[in-house]
Amino acid sequence: MKVIIFDAGPIINFSINGMLDILESLKKSFNGKFIITDAVKKEVVDNPINVPRFELGALRVQALINKGVLEPPSALNIDGEIIKKESQRLMNIANHYIFSRGTWVNIISDGETSCLALSNELNKMKIENIIAIDERTTRILSEKPENLQKIISDKIHANVKVQLSNIEEFSSFRFVRSTELVYLAYKKNLLGIPGKKALEAALYATKFKGSSVTFEEIEELKKLN
Amino acid sequence: MDKEEVQHTITMLKETKQSLLTNNSLKLLELSNQKIHSASCVQDIESITLTIIIYSLAKFIERRNILKIKHWNNFVKKMNLLLDLAVSALEKDNSKAYQDYILKAKSSLESMSPSLKQYAKEIIRNACINKASHIYKHGISMEQTAKLLGITQWELLEYTGLTKAADTNQNRTMNEKSRIKMLVEFFE
Repeated sequence: MKVIIFDAGPIINFSINGMLDILESLKKSFNGKFIITDAVKKEVVDNPINVPRFELGALRVQALINKGVLEPPSALNIDGEIIKKESQRLMNIANHYIFSRGTWVNIISDGETSCLALSNELNKMKIENIIAIDERTTRILSEKPENLQKIISDKIHANVKVQLSNIEEFSSFRFVRSTELVYLAYKKNLLGIPGKKALEAALYATKFKGSSVTFEEIEELKKLN
Repeated sequence: MDKEEVQHTITMLKETKQSLLTNNSLKLLELSNQKIHSASCVQDIESITLTIIIYSLAKFIERRNILKIKHWNNFVKKMNLLLDLAVSALEKDNSKAYQDYILKAKSSLESMSPSLKQYAKEIIRNACINKASHIYKHGISMEQTAKLLGITQWELLEYTGLTKAADTNQNRTMNEKSRIKMLVEFFE
């Protein structure tokens, strides 16, 4: 059993781009589960369903949940309360990493930390997992925290203080973005449109709907093919 | 707010007032970014609201001839009075009163004219999205930023996707070949 934990970004990205069917196809070719936490569900269904502009997108995501493509943590017998508690712990650590202007900076929120919390729970259960996330802060914090320090200090034109020791445990998380999922779908002939141009178009589509991928990385993906 | 920040805010409010009187939308756009650092790090409601107000004022000025806003001069007078009161509150070190005047200024913007209520709402919403994208660029996560500005991640993702937020060296945290290899092996 393997699990992909979805943050809101990739789901919204696929929905806005009309590519949710890719998720469904990927799920069929995958020996495991696609899981979304309650906090993420709020961001992709419960809140946008009340915003006319995003209502249809939210309903499409709800349809994926109804079909069992996206499942709640309870599908793995994981209690939502455990995730909430672990999320709070991780959020407390992450939001005490950067100190600037006389205060600790709240850099991440409960949806993102719920994905990390679920990953920790799955690790305890020896279930291999990956987090699909498009926003950059959580990924940078885990994979290269010094870059986050640089982003913030460059932006505010001042040095910021960091507590590096606090976030050592974040380095164990693994991440992909909607961009890499689209690449994988292409390699598995699941894009629905044939040809190299389709790959290029789909990669750019993810970028222009918020996947934190650089143009350089897209060029590298095109060359990998 | 420390003394330096208070002084900076007072100067900024005075410049906002002057720019509003002279219909200087470019200066207002510039001023609207000056509180972004504080809005990103301290995440205080006053800084966030102020940056939204100033950006919205710039947008109203840009379109005031097209919109033919009735009683524009009265609105400017009312807004500037609130900005004066906010300055006075800061000078007296009364942060509660300062917050109240800033929130009143936002309400005044929202209720500028009954015929423009919907349009005002749209301008303020766009101001929130624009400022959210700046805060996201400061290294704050997508969800945290959306929550601070009271918008959805759907709006923020669409907007930031069209900016250069992702195209920085710091965004690259792993070799792309390695990430794909990890994902392909994970799917096997």
